[in-house]
Amino acid sequence: MSGRMRTLVVVVVLLAVAVLSRFFLYSGDPHVEVAPEELFAIGGFSVTNSLFTALLVDIILVVVALLATRNMQLVPRGVQNVMEMIVEALYNLFRNLSPKFINQVFPLAASIFLFVLVSNWLGLIPGGSSIGVCHAAGEEHSARLALVREGEYAGAIRFAPAAAEGDNPYTTCPSGYTLVPWLRPPSTDLNFTLALGLLSFVFFEYWGFRTLGIGYLKKFFNLNGVMSFVGIIEFISEIMKPISLALRLFGNIFAGEVLIAVLTFLVPLALPMPIYGFEIFVGFIQALVFALLTVAFLTIATTSHEGEHHGDEHGSAARAH
Amino acid sequence: MDALGINLNLFLAQLINFGVVVGLLWWLLYKPVTRMLNERTARIEASLRDADQVKQQLANAKRDYEAEIARARQEAAGIVAQAQERARAQEAEIVAQARREADRLREEARAQAALEREQMLRGAKNQIAELVTLTASRVLDAELKAAGHDKLIAESLAALDRRN
Repeated sequence: MSGRMRTLVVVVVLLAVAVLSRFFLYSGDPHVEVAPEELFAIGGFSVTNSLFTALLVDIILVVVALLATRNMQLVPRGVQNVMEMIVEALYNLFRNLSPKFINQVFPLAASIFLFVLVSNWLGLIPGGSSIGVCHAAGEEHSARLALVREGEYAGAIRFAPAAAEGDNPYTTCPSGYTLVPWLRPPSTDLNFTLALGLLSFVFFEYWGFRTLGIGYLKKFFNLNGVMSFVGIIEFISEIMKPISLALRLFGNIFAGEVLIAVLTFLVPLALPMPIYGFEIFVGFIQALVFALLTVAFLTIATTSHEGEHHGDEHGSAARAH
Repeated sequence: MDALGINLNLFLAQLINFGVVVGLLWWLLYKPVTRMLNERTARIEASLRDADQVKQQLANAKRDYEAEIARARQEAAGIVAQAQERARAQEAEIVAQARREADRLREEARAQAALEREQMLRGAKNQIAELVTLTASRVLDAELKAAGHDKLIAESLAALDRRN
């Protein structure tokens, strides 16, 4: 048997074992909730698993920051070295996009990157969704992903109301209760992504106004023929920026969570591994995209249209020469 | 909105939480790290400036050293040439003096030899004369007369003078 043939046989056998693992490594129904779930309440305020994870991310970041800066040396070592490398890389990256406002935008953009990155990766800890608190299954939940066990769609995975789940034999919770995991990446909670988007929006709008004054509004409202129509489109596009930022982050990370949950449910062995690797990459890219877009939007907001036109004219003149 | 889990309280909680994190990270991480990075950059720039300065100083010192060495070599060559010149002059003087001394000694020796030869010849002449006189007197004592004696002596002395 040639080497290539042997490899092919090994791959096929592994795939077969992975697919068959569905029958002997049943991982329970995929737990997918669109809305964050309440873990406990403090004085009427509901603490959800995404808020709890956000607080955990806070603690991780603050502890790492303290470890990195408690005894700073001119020749860096250990955590200080790593954090200096990250901070410097982010600083240089953002400075290339917005050299003029780097000192204003850096704390926000770098925090967005670090917070989103840590929270995305925290959600990828294998088994993280298996540790939680038991809640009565009859509680009102948002739509959730569940395996349909009977009827026309038996065997399919469908969004279904949580109350319709019934007893789940694959959970440590008693009958009539469902497990609500402690960890849920804040990026899979629209409250968090919208808050982040709004913060970013307020930031670049504030600097746009502060830099260009009332002239900033000329980008959106003017009576210059066709440009007045373009201004309206720009205004709508501007308003949509925080929403697009929020939905992009939410969609990507939530989809990753769903993908891993479904794949783990369908093929528990081997197949979820490359998806975990891919999600690590997606978590990093989405954190970077959010931070970079914040800086890019700031640069756009602080650049006047006149400046752009002047730039275009200079460019045209140069090309003509 | 409820199905998506959007809730004003949670939204505000996340907003405040993130705002606090930004503040904490700015205070605990970005500020000290950027300060350290700036300090390091300043130190590196200062070190590079110092290194350039030291390099310049080194180049200057090397140039001075080479100039000094060249000057010293030139001076040493001058001193050697001067010493050689002086040595040659002294040598010539010593040789001349030695020659003069040798000439003087030779002259003295020659004069002494001439004097000694003169004295020796005079002594020898006298001794010979005495010997001749003695021999002649002994040989001719019985045969010649007193007048004949004196004449013979005078002739012998005259003959001896001629021979010398």
